[in-house]
Amino acid sequence: MKKTLREMRPVYVVGIGLHRYQRMSETPYVTLGLTAVREALRDANIEWRAVESAYTGTALLGMAASRPMLRYLGATGISMAQVENASASGSTAVRQACLDVASGLTDVSIAVGVDKPGPVAMAPAKTNIRDLAGRYVVPFTHFALLANEYMNRYAATAEQVAAVAVKNNRNGANNPYAQRQKAVTLEEVLAGPQISGALTRLQCCPVGEGAAAAIVASDDAIEKLGINRARAVRVIASVSRSERVYSGAKNFDAELTRETVAQAYEQAQISPNDLDLVELHDAFTIEELLYAEAMGLCGEGEGARMIASGAADIGGDCAISASGGLLAMGHPIGPTGAGQVVEIARQLRGEAGVRQQPNARIGLAHMVGVGAVCVVHILQKAA
Amino acid sequence: MPEAAASQSNLYSVSPDPMLNGGYCRACGYVFFPPQNYGCEFCGAPPEKLEPKSLKGEGVLSSFATVNLHQGQGIETPFTVGVIVLDDGPAIRAVLTHKTDQGLKIGDRMRAVVVGGADDARGAPTNELRFAKQETRR
Repeated sequence: MKKTLREMRPVYVVGIGLHRYQRMSETPYVTLGLTAVREALRDANIEWRAVESAYTGTALLGMAASRPMLRYLGATGISMAQVENASASGSTAVRQACLDVASGLTDVSIAVGVDKPGPVAMAPAKTNIRDLAGRYVVPFTHFALLANEYMNRYAATAEQVAAVAVKNNRNGANNPYAQRQKAVTLEEVLAGPQISGALTRLQCCPVGEGAAAAIVASDDAIEKLGINRARAVRVIASVSRSERVYSGAKNFDAELTRETVAQAYEQAQISPNDLDLVELHDAFTIEELLYAEAMGLCGEGEGARMIASGAADIGGDCAISASGGLLAMGHPIGPTGAGQVVEIARQLRGEAGVRQQPNARIGLAHMVGVGAVCVVHILQKAA
Repeated sequence: MPEAAASQSNLYSVSPDPMLNGGYCRACGYVFFPPQNYGCEFCGAPPEKLEPKSLKGEGVLSSFATVNLHQGQGIETPFTVGVIVLDDGPAIRAVLTHKTDQGLKIGDRMRAVVVGGADDARGAPTNELRFAKQETRR
């Protein structure tokens, strides 16, 4: 009989760590990754030898990234593997770690996301399928096209779309791990430079380097290792899907998110109203509006109005991108999805300081990746 | 996404008007572009069920964006990319003959034209299929 994560053994995030997301530097990826892992181990107050499997989310480093990094924690002989799922690599690493614990294969597993910018070979370019505009459409133009279509359909303005960047940079300014830590005004966002369509530079996420780590564990491990149960955050849904051919739908990106999130709600037995915070794939401002609507946080075409109302601010009904999101915290690719889980766990513990969403109980992490794929996790505060 | 060459030679034909070389699935009726012979994305039918289908180079503009920053060999900015819902079904993306979005609006009728395009990997000029706003019929 099939089972969802929720129906398997309970899984908890018990340790979180980050290396700040930043512009490309001379720092080796090993240092970035070990910084995040050691912070997560300290946070959980456990030793590396308690960890029984490791998944490294990375899209840019190349073959065999895990052991050349993790061996320096003490080579314990555990299972290690790389997870590449484009922008959802870190999210998929979290999912694999959760599945190890939920299935009973392990009691403690770790997901690490780590990347540095560099040349990358894109498999879609090797399919031998050419397209008319293939050389001309990079991600920011893909989303500029969706932005124009959205603004036309709902009579939304460029200012309303740009307001997402103002909110997320305000949050990022209070996040010591964020790549962009500076609040910006709407005028600064709109001032350009204009990149593609309505999207200006500050409406496009920075892609730098960094690392994120999340340690997940079973009830047995929490008991045996003496982990503080009050700080353990339960993972109540994990869903991973890929794009279908959506007959009649104009926006496949939104449809993929809509059906992935719907499955996650069903698994977690919650509705969108139950969410206190969401970290979503806001690589470009327009995405926050599209996905917030697809998640049911507001009605179709009401995203811009919701942002303007403050409902998505910290302190609002559901804080979106309290970390600063991809727009301000940054999008170093491999770490990003794991970093979302770190932020949500921190928030649900009530340890997010000035970024704290009051009384946060349930949070959702959402990433999409080129291909296209979508991975969603829902986390719940300890009872 | 880098590509080795700019060749569009298998994507369209001119006889005498530009037609897009699309595909059709005999099993489920799915019409697609660009052409491929791997299998039907909609129903999973094998290549034997797929056949070429010429798609008329006309349709309606459903979105557009003027690109001011782009890294690609032989590609000059600004240029404008459009999404065109072809009269024959598929929504496609193409570079427009308009450098900027001036005078364009969603809902405009568009038609395919062949123009000199970006240089290929060896620096040789190539032809490209682009879309232009269709003049209103009188």
